[in-house]
Amino acid sequence: MAEQIIFYILAALIAVFSVLAVTSKQIIRSATYLLFVLLGTAGLYLLLGYHYLFAVQIAVYAGGVMVLFIFAILLTNRPGENVKAERKDRRIAAGITSVAGLAFCGHIIYWNVNKAYTLLVPAEQKVQDIGLKLMGTEKYQYLLPFEFISVLLLACIVGAIMIARKR
Amino acid sequence: MNSIITYFKGLFIGIKSLLFGMSVTWKELWTKKVTQQYPENRKTLVISDRFRCELTMPHDINNEHACTACGICQMNCPNGTINVLSAMIETEDGKKKKILDTYTWDMGMCTFCNLCVITCPSDAISFNNQFENAVFTRSKLVQTLNHKGSKLREKKKEVKPQSVPVVEDKLTSSKEQMIEPLVETKISTPSDKSIKNPKDNTTEN
Amino acid sequence: MLQPLELTNLLSWLDTTLRDSMPVFWVLLIEFVLVAVALLAAYAILAIILIYAERKITAFFQARFGPNRVGIYGILQSIADVIKILLKEIIRINNVDRFLFFAAPFFMIVASMLTFGAIPFGKMLHAIDFNIGVLYVTAVSSLGIIGVLLAGWSSNNKYSMIGAMRSGAQFVSYELSAGFALMTIVVLTGTMSFSEMIAKQEFCWNIFNGHISSIIAFVIYLISGHAETNRGPFDLPEAESELTAGYHTEYSGLQFGFFYLAEYLNMFIIASIATTVFLGGWMPIQIPGLDGFNQVMWYIPSYAWFFGKTGVLIFLSLWVRWSFPRLRIDQLLNLEWKYLLPINLVNILIMVILVLAGLTLTDLFPVLAP
Ligand code: SF4
Ligand code: SF4
Repeated sequence: MAEQIIFYILAALIAVFSVLAVTSKQIIRSATYLLFVLLGTAGLYLLLGYHYLFAVQIAVYAGGVMVLFIFAILLTNRPGENVKAERKDRRIAAGITSVAGLAFCGHIIYWNVNKAYTLLVPAEQKVQDIGLKLMGTEKYQYLLPFEFISVLLLACIVGAIMIARKR
Repeated sequence: MNSIITYFKGLFIGIKSLLFGMSVTWKELWTKKVTQQYPENRKTLVISDRFRCELTMPHDINNEHACTACGICQMNCPNGTINVLSAMIETEDGKKKKILDTYTWDMGMCTFCNLCVITCPSDAISFNNQFENAVFTRSKLVQTLNHKGSKLREKKKEVKPQSVPVVEDKLTSSKEQMIEPLVETKISTPSDKSIKNPKDNTTEN
Repeated sequence: MLQPLELTNLLSWLDTTLRDSMPVFWVLLIEFVLVAVALLAAYAILAIILIYAERKITAFFQARFGPNRVGIYGILQSIADVIKILLKEIIRINNVDRFLFFAAPFFMIVASMLTFGAIPFGKMLHAIDFNIGVLYVTAVSSLGIIGVLLAGWSSNNKYSMIGAMRSGAQFVSYELSAGFALMTIVVLTGTMSFSEMIAKQEFCWNIFNGHISSIIAFVIYLISGHAETNRGPFDLPEAESELTAGYHTEYSGLQFGFFYLAEYLNMFIIASIATTVFLGGWMPIQIPGLDGFNQVMWYIPSYAWFFGKTGVLIFLSLWVRWSFPRLRIDQLLNLEWKYLLPINLVNILIMVILVLAGLTLTDLFPVLAP
């Protein structure tokens, strides 16, 4: 009962702030609303009992990515400078695309949500298990993707350095 | 390889110097407090002799000062703080003489640069240690330094009894000889200049 | 062990009496409210005490007396300050982004409040014991920086802006080494939960348990934690001589009070996490075998131990603050990226080797294991 109330509050917050993040004219406000969305998502994880995911969500998205976003905005924009509205045809195209995306994802979620219920155990995931899963080479263990991602990140870092280097 | 050595060297030297800095502040933590708790310690408060508070014109017991109304202090003051008003009088032997009428000093304009005291040829003015100078109106900051009915101290009066010590003085440095006449005027106001001068005792005796 | 001054009995008595007299829902509600009120009160009171202690110790470091007019030794000074700050007008500034301007202090205070809630203050004085306590603390405390950035941006003032930028750069870099230093100890203890960490440090604090590696991690944590709180030699974001007050230049009254409070509490939080992770938390000093001694140590209540250890670390932070001159921004980043971070990474590796090779003190001397 209490959990449901909290869920609806969180869901409403996420929905409202998502819309606000897209519609806001000031880019820094958009970033702030996006931050609220991410925090709401973290709240959902907390509600589900996934403490690890909750902490990671806050540390990575709220604490890391959002700080970088805001930092980038601080470096590139002037306060009070507003984003101009897009052309009408573009807006319509964007609307259609997002509705299509929503329909697609919604369809998948709707038909698979029952399966997910049986797969997921509502117990707290131990950090050790997650670590072993990520570092193992057995079935349902993910060392290879993990390493691929690290290579990807390395490539990003090298690329960033190359771009930033002036010569 | 070399850069690795410098890296670690820098690291350890840095740590060492930081620790040294902390040891200094640790000692500072236990030093005596230097704060002066002003209104409470009024009795024991020590104000340095050289601290310039109020300009004064010292008067001796006969209500006599040393100011000749020459106006040098007024000319030297960078702020126009001093105003020397002089008057002309006729002495007994019929000569005209300029004497001091009023000597006003505006504390509100003074920067306490001490130029007036240094340049006064007869050492008639000095700064005292009276530091509690807060007043309620600006007009109170303007002070008249010469007392009522005061007059110029005659120099000749004291020359005669001094004839004996003057002989002694010739043994001392010529510099003291130069400031000898100034010293006489300072009997009532011992400043550091007169304390340094051994002759002061002899003149007073 | 006899623990006469401990609050455990009182708390469990409260719980059972409540449970006996009303349904579970109400019990939980009442307890939640009580815990929240207790935490808020502790937050405010600690801030007041810390401000007083800081001013006094600062004064001693500078051979002054510090506040000594309001009350004996000036103990009522910070209470008077609080009243003043509460009564001050909150000035509305033109041309600021009002929403962000008002939201920014709340980010600060909420972040430090969330962290504050997860600290174990004593036996059973632990509001929430996450399985991933350490991670939670590092994650949540990183929210505060958003408040700083937003404050700097929305003030529409170049000083605030520069202060916020510096603060952001500083925080993002130093958070990294603070996290790594804590992870070193997670490697040592094999757990992220504060309560388990404390239980494992009954006879041998973590700082001794992992000897070389732990001590390096401890020092690095103190340095980077100190940097995260924007104090002492790392106070570039609010460098008075250059930026007036940095990101909170435009704030007044209670809004400024929030920043002020959060700054002091962050100092406390850093010190208390260091206490919990490295110095045994609320565990009294105990020596295996000496039961009499241990009993005497237990007579001192656990919260006293906690606040004592934290107090020592806070004193250390003040000592550092008044010893060193402010760093330049390049020196600041050099320190982090060229010294702390590489050393930290190597340090984790050393710690892994120590644990795997069984070279920690508890491995070498099994008596020390809890
Ligand atoms: S105080 Fe000295 S300088 Fe000034 S008028 Fe008098 S004698 Fe001259
Ligand atoms: S101290 Fe300087 S400013 Fe003051 S009266 Fe003398 S000469 Fe003028």
